[in-house]
Amino acid sequence: MASLDDPGEVREGFLCPLCLKDLQSFYQLQSHYEEEHSGEDRDVKGQIKSLVQKAKKAKNRLLKREGDDRAESGTQGYESFSYGGVDPYMWEPQELGAVRSHLSDFKKHRAARIDHYVVEVNKLIIRLEKLTAFDRTNTESAKIRAIEKSVVPWVNDQDVPFCPDCGNKFNIRNRRHHCRLCGSIMCKKCMELISLPLANKLTSASKDSLSTHTSPSQSPNSVHGSRRGSISSMSSVSSVLDEKDDDRIRCCTHCKDTLLKREQQIDEKEHTPDIVKLYEKLRLCMEKVDQKAPEYIRMAASLNAGETTYSLEHASDLRVEVQKVYELIDALSKKILTLGLNQDPPPHPNTLRLQRMIRYSATLFVQEKLLGLMSLPTKEQFEELKKKRKQEMERKRILERQAALEAQRRLEERRSDLASRAANGEVVSLRGGPAPLRKAEGWLPLSGSQGQGEDSDPLLQQIHNITSFIRQAKAAGRTDEVRTLQENLRQLQDEYDQQQTEKAIEMSRKQAEEEDLQREQLQMLREREWEREREQFQAASLHTRTRSLDFREIRSFHLEPGREPRTHFAHVLDLGSSPAQSSAAPKSPSPSSALEPISVWSGPQALGQEFFPQSTMSQQNEVPSLNLFDEEDLSSPTAEGTTSPLAAEPSFGPSAHILKEYNPFEEEEAVGNPFTNPDSPAPNPFEEEDEHPHQRPSSPPVPGNPFEEATCTNPFEMDSDSGPESEEPIEEELLLQQIDNIKAYIFDAKQCGRLDEVEVLTENLRELKRTLAKQKGGTD
Amino acid sequence: MNVVFAVKQYISKMIEDSGPGMKVLLMDKETTGIVSMVYTQSEILQKEVYLFERIDSQNREIMKHLKAICFLRPTKENVDYLIQELRRPKYSIYFIYLSNVISKSDVKSLAEADEQEVVAEVQEFYGDYIAVNPHLFSLNILGCCQGRNWDPAQLSRTTQGLTALLLSLKKCPMIRYQLSSEAAKRLGECVKQVITKEYELFEFRRTEVPPLLLILDRCDDAITPLLNQWTYQAMVHELLGINNNRIDLSRVPGISKDLREVVLSAENDEFYANNMYLNFAEIGSNIKNLMEDFQRKKPKEQQKLESIADMKAFVENYPQFKKMSGTVSKHVTVVGELSRLVSERNLLEVSEVEQELACQNDHSSALQNVKRLLQNPRVTEFDAARLVMLYALHYERHSSNSLPGLMMDLRNKGVSEKYRKLVSAVVEYGGKRVRGSDLFSPKDAVAITKQFLKGLKGVENVYTQHQPFLHDTLDHLIKGKLKENLYPYLGPSTLRDRLTPR
Repeated sequence: MASLDDPGEVREGFLCPLCLKDLQSFYQLQSHYEEEHSGEDRDVKGQIKSLVQKAKKAKNRLLKREGDDRAESGTQGYESFSYGGVDPYMWEPQELGAVRSHLSDFKKHRAARIDHYVVEVNKLIIRLEKLTAFDRTNTESAKIRAIEKSVVPWVNDQDVPFCPDCGNKFNIRNRRHHCRLCGSIMCKKCMELISLPLANKLTSASKDSLSTHTSPSQSPNSVHGSRRGSISSMSSVSSVLDEKDDDRIRCCTHCKDTLLKREQQIDEKEHTPDIVKLYEKLRLCMEKVDQKAPEYIRMAASLNAGETTYSLEHASDLRVEVQKVYELIDALSKKILTLGLNQDPPPHPNTLRLQRMIRYSATLFVQEKLLGLMSLPTKEQFEELKKKRKQEMERKRILERQAALEAQRRLEERRSDLASRAANGEVVSLRGGPAPLRKAEGWLPLSGSQGQGEDSDPLLQQIHNITSFIRQAKAAGRTDEVRTLQENLRQLQDEYDQQQTEKAIEMSRKQAEEEDLQREQLQMLREREWEREREQFQAASLHTRTRSLDFREIRSFHLEPGREPRTHFAHVLDLGSSPAQSSAAPKSPSPSSALEPISVWSGPQALGQEFFPQSTMSQQNEVPSLNLFDEEDLSSPTAEGTTSPLAAEPSFGPSAHILKEYNPFEEEEAVGNPFTNPDSPAPNPFEEEDEHPHQRPSSPPVPGNPFEEATCTNPFEMDSDSGPESEEPIEEELLLQQIDNIKAYIFDAKQCGRLDEVEVLTENLRELKRTLAKQKGGTD
Repeated sequence: MNVVFAVKQYISKMIEDSGPGMKVLLMDKETTGIVSMVYTQSEILQKEVYLFERIDSQNREIMKHLKAICFLRPTKENVDYLIQELRRPKYSIYFIYLSNVISKSDVKSLAEADEQEVVAEVQEFYGDYIAVNPHLFSLNILGCCQGRNWDPAQLSRTTQGLTALLLSLKKCPMIRYQLSSEAAKRLGECVKQVITKEYELFEFRRTEVPPLLLILDRCDDAITPLLNQWTYQAMVHELLGINNNRIDLSRVPGISKDLREVVLSAENDEFYANNMYLNFAEIGSNIKNLMEDFQRKKPKEQQKLESIADMKAFVENYPQFKKMSGTVSKHVTVVGELSRLVSERNLLEVSEVEQELACQNDHSSALQNVKRLLQNPRVTEFDAARLVMLYALHYERHSSNSLPGLMMDLRNKGVSEKYRKLVSAVVEYGGKRVRGSDLFSPKDAVAITKQFLKGLKGVENVYTQHQPFLHDTLDHLIKGKLKENLYPYLGPSTLRDRLTPR
């Protein structure tokens, strides 16, 4: 409020910052700036320069004594200090200070006074009504007097020797006059008159508060005003001749005052000055802008990014609309500014000030909001933007897909590496060391063949190892170790969960793809083509939406391919096509098939198939290609459109999101189930594993002191401690546990109505069951 | 405990509660200052408050289409003005907010004046002080005491200000005061009296550590205000003067018209907010950064605005540029003037000696330096007198005190009687006899070691070696070491006992 006291200083409009010349529009200002100031070397600049030097000098002088550390703190201060270390935003939140209302007290006192006042006014008005109820002009004065006397008892003449208002003595010359409204006495000079129109107005207004004016009272002000101005002269003339006033009612100043106040109130009730009307319109416009502008900005931002969520036409329409409102605001505020400027008695300076301020605030409003309105791309630009975005998306998709494939390949390599290592007996040879340790624990059964051992996840082995270490460490009271181990364990568990989800997603994806393949064989080429187009479209549209990182979108996208083919599968079954039936047959004994008929296609268990061809192959329907990755790689460019988002998204986006979704549940049950606690993102344990396999033989664990080993940050060094042959049954146990857990989650999610979660969890459950079934098949 | 925010919240609430429509803010002289410290004009305009009027202004027109928000101190004159206003209302509806406790009889007389039922609200909103910074407020009282005794009017104003502060922050404190000062005790008693009387108002949620109101008297440390300061806000205040965030630059040679008076408010000037507590050297470099920033953002003059896009960019950046240009020219002017005054008045050298007088105990060197500076024609009479005052305060009882000689030097320098009188006045005001604590030679072992260590480390910055006595006082307070015999509690030390209604 810099110039609160003299707002006369406030200048508004499009002022040039250099010469403060007011220019009427942006464009004028712009051209003015260009013409007038483009060449000038600015004063400010010069001033600034000399100041910099001064400041520098001063600084150097100070710094000489201060040393360099001060200077450093100074430059930091520019960034980090606010209020010189006093940052009120760090303070505790502050509520409104104490307040105390006197309103009820006030109203009580006022009511007492108002009652009195209102009664007074109403009394006067009722009397006035009586006085004007008859035709005054055609009634004899004596009769009038009688009526007047009947309305209010007149004060006795003898009681009032002096005029109570001016104090003059009454005599023959200075006669007594009675107020017709209250009956009091005053002298001629102090007497007031009420014109009939005014009386009408007052009485009619109180009769019906709606007060639709009749024509005579339409201009009571002017009539009344002019009469009032000439009251004294008129009455002085008439008084000598006749005391009768045809169309006026005598009253005392007090009554007149009260009635005038009342009149004023009536006037105010009905009269709305122009400025108010204009102002209301102005505020409406501003509200409109507040409504529309954010919408437009959203649209424009989206369009400028090349998105197709909004149509360009619609946006430009909206822009025009908003701009029109701005113009209206400008026009209205200008009108308010010039209101009454040309009137003869110029308006009160305060009125002008008010108008100026309204205009100023409107200008501020327009400046602030209008400048936030970004421009729209032209049609051509928009097309270009769209293309660009499409290309970018395409590129991203390809990149993501490549990355996914890469990751997959690495995973495979690692697994086969592990498998081969196990087969080579590397691990077996190491098993001699840790064996006693396990025995001491006595909870890791040593059973199962080595082949099946590979089957189980190395991560699970790790997890088991570490849990056992933790137990030992706890028993030994080594809390430090316990902590480190627990940290390791958690990381492992995270990783395992992530892997499981990934696997699950991968499998569902493959399942869908296989179904696609199946369908291809069964259906007409045309139909297939149509299907592809549809999927492509779906994938594309969903893909754009995933940009928003909306979890639900991603999931639906992820589930879509699975669900979609299913219906086709049903269709295929209806047709009774032989490959479908034959493929369904071998699966029927598996426990999952009862719940999940679609798992027919999960037979080839994408990943498992790769690692354990010998065990699973026999059960496999031969139709889907064994190596789905090859298939994908070789797929034609048309197919790429459909597959690439599938390949890219599930392996990264959804898995992470699904994990996040788990979190609340997993943590709830963390105590009961130590294997599902994806608390912190795990560093990729595979990489570490890659680094260390060769070290393993050279660093056999010391059986007597497992804790030293346990503290090491790389949990995979411990890998050698556990025999792979013990893993298979554990995994089964674990799977069952996991299944139980997930069932519990599903129940919980259903209870809470989180349907999207239920969906994801069901998917997971299926996956787990399938794995279990497959494993059982393997051991059998 | 942000006082700026507290007042701002009150004002916002007032405006909010009055609903939509054109509004006028009706204030008195003091509340005008209070409001202007927390709200800028454009901010308040956006809330549909278009006019600002003084209740005592006779030149107000009847504008029935406006709503009036009255924010007034509940003084006798204001109540009278308000009664007149309500008898003949100029606006359609009145929302009355009083900045402090109003008496029941005043409410009654206001109510009786409101015959036309124009009053919609009567409340007490305790924004009765000038909020300078989030942690600093002022009552803008010049000269609150006569001799050592309170001016009764100022005592009551100070009490009102303090109680309003407590209410606006919703604190019901324990009170401690400086024992050596009768005025501090008196004020504490007055505040306590109000708290006791209005105990209903002070019913706040109790906190574990009850808030504390510590009342100190400046006479305990007369040194600090005599020193030249080297942080931005303090320098502006010292050298140019800040009055309700306004700085009068009209005496600056060659000042342009629109910079005669500038506003420095941390609330809406980011640069100021970030730099107000930085020292002069740092401001120099920061202002350079600011200008570089400005140069970058400035529309390129040479660059012709050829395309529509250029023009659009220009128009879009323009207001920002305009605002920045205002900020830049303001700070450049202020800092420029500061640096001119510093060199003109030889303040670096003066300040060095001042710091020596305040912080070190080497009498002969101090005396020599003061004498030397008194000979320097560039040292103003004001600064010269201050140096002698510092000397007088520090070496008041020194065996080889040579104050008479220095006074002679002052006279020879042509320092006016007005300033020379101040030397004895300041000793009387804040001399050893008055001070409750020793400013110069610490007594307890901790302080001595501290000083010793400081001496060992050497001085980091000769201009800022002095640490106000307040720093120590607060430090002790926070650590719970503030001595009760020097700063006793008022009444029983637990507040609860005193607050229970009898």
